[in-house]
Amino acid sequence: MNTKRITKMALLTAVALILFTVEAQIPAPVPIPGVKLGLANIITVYAMFALGPADTLCILLVRVVLGSMFSGAMISLLYSLSGGLLCYAVMLLLRRVLSERQIWVCSVLGAVAHNAGQMLAAIAILRTTAVAVYFPALLLSGMVTGLFTGLCAQEVLRRLRKA
Amino acid sequence: MYKRLAALALGLALLCGCGAAAQPQKETETVQAAQEMRSTEFFAMDTVMSVRACGADEALLAQAEALVLSLEEELSTTREGSAVYTLDHEGHAELSERAAYLLGRALALCAETDGALDVSVYPVVRAWGFTTADGSYRVPDAAELDALLQNVDYTRVLLDGTEASVPEGMEIDLGAVTKGYTGDLLTALLRESGVESALLDLGGNVQTVGCKPDGSNWRVGVKDPAGEGLLGALAVADKAVVTSGGYERYFTDDAGTLYWHIMDPRSGCPARNGLISVTVVGDEGLYCDALSTALFVMGTEDAIAFWRAHRDFDMVLVTEDGRLLLTPALAERFTPADALRYETAVIADA
Amino acid sequence: MLKTRTWILLFAAAALALGLLSWRLLGTPVEGTVVEVVQDGVVLREIDLSAVREAYSFVVTWPDGGSNTVLVEPGRICVAEADCPDGLCVRQGWLSDRGAPLVCLPHRLVIRLKGEGALDGVSR
Repeated sequence: MNTKRITKMALLTAVALILFTVEAQIPAPVPIPGVKLGLANIITVYAMFALGPADTLCILLVRVVLGSMFSGAMISLLYSLSGGLLCYAVMLLLRRVLSERQIWVCSVLGAVAHNAGQMLAAIAILRTTAVAVYFPALLLSGMVTGLFTGLCAQEVLRRLRKA
Repeated sequence: MYKRLAALALGLALLCGCGAAAQPQKETETVQAAQEMRSTEFFAMDTVMSVRACGADEALLAQAEALVLSLEEELSTTREGSAVYTLDHEGHAELSERAAYLLGRALALCAETDGALDVSVYPVVRAWGFTTADGSYRVPDAAELDALLQNVDYTRVLLDGTEASVPEGMEIDLGAVTKGYTGDLLTALLRESGVESALLDLGGNVQTVGCKPDGSNWRVGVKDPAGEGLLGALAVADKAVVTSGGYERYFTDDAGTLYWHIMDPRSGCPARNGLISVTVVGDEGLYCDALSTALFVMGTEDAIAFWRAHRDFDMVLVTEDGRLLLTPALAERFTPADALRYETAVIADA
Repeated sequence: MLKTRTWILLFAAAALALGLLSWRLLGTPVEGTVVEVVQDGVVLREIDLSAVREAYSFVVTWPDGGSNTVLVEPGRICVAEADCPDGLCVRQGWLSDRGAPLVCLPHRLVIRLKGEGALDGVSR
């Protein structure tokens, strides 16, 4: 592992963590548990297309673990981890079949998978299926936020490639 | 480019001041609401009874239980020494005023329902094995039933003041009205003691006193005759809700024929006239109790005709062919549990 | 693979369907008056909201730190205060206005309507 790669990964992890922490300060737009902008997803999508799967997984895992520690709620680690890993798996499958201009598609489906994973974790942790009524709303919010973060990531990729 | 990103990262990190500080834990007093709903549960009349009353004290609940037990002692068909037992075994008996009132009302209702209710059908019920709890059910043959039916005729029960007598070989049973009457006496007792909100569940006969403490209607479920669940729920206040159904006690013979405990006094056989469950909603428990049995015996058409001629009660009928029939006043008080299971219809006024 | 336009159409259709479904699920208040306060899968309390005549509140503490203050009023229930990081349980408002349970993920708290128990008695 060369220094440049490590530096890149560390930097991206730091940015992801900051986005994560900044976002935690913004109140959720709707009072549905699990709905959030998911700004850190920009980094995941970016890394997936700019660096590759292995590096992305490292960044994702470090961000999820440290993020949970920073927010002081270790319980959120389980939600983030199950969501994050499911999101990662979906992106991994999609990255080869999508063109440069379709990166947002990857992000949308990734975010949907992320929220689905969170919901499954919530059902397991709360030991009640009562929360499942939120499922469609969570998937929808995943599509909207995934679109936003996906377009951001696509734009970042385009601009950084130019630079 | 990465330099710029790094600078941005640093700036943002400074801005947000590294996470939120833990908020101080607030002390909040835990206040429990004063809920004065008191309840008691006891076993009487071969079933479990419960009384829930708002504002009642233990003494009143004990009084309520004592009232039920004293009624059972007086009206039981099987308990030696009870007024009804004496009447059945000696042919005549001196009744207490309340027992005489109950018998008088029961006989009047037998007449009103044209014999669909008959207090003297008891020996037939016993012949089928429904009076004992040991499950010794059997199908009596025609000759046996014919012989027993000779002594089934409520018009031959004589009541003069508190003196009652029955002809040789006749036995009566007030089981079809006792629980309803018990509910009426309990309601009166609670009312006299200042209780304005109560719910009585006398082995499936539900009687409500007033409305719920918060002013809303009581929600009384009605059992689904064809399954374990509910037919739906009725929103009522100050009403008795009594259900009779073939599902309560029944047996099947070797050929698979189903026999239930509600007898048609005319044939001496289980009443199969198109209904599998009848729920009667009305002001008086005794009346509802008697009618739930009588209407079941009458069958769909006659039950509807009876309602049209009287209109002093409401009912929910469930027919053998899967229909659920409601009187108009119940249409908005009844919420079906599963709207698709039965074909629901409101009974026309005429 | 798929054209961008196909993706857009696909997503738009899915979003519409999900939106309608969410609206139906979350917008229609559920019938019933008996609620359960459940923490970590354990029913802590069962409250018949129709029997509540005076408002009161109680605190549910989460063993790993933190608490939610539940406010009970005649016919309705909500989380009045909480020290969870997101505070969503408080913003969810009264349970009676919604078709969905009140949820506090960090404290594993769920306040939900209990379907059948809302009956006062059963005629049989």
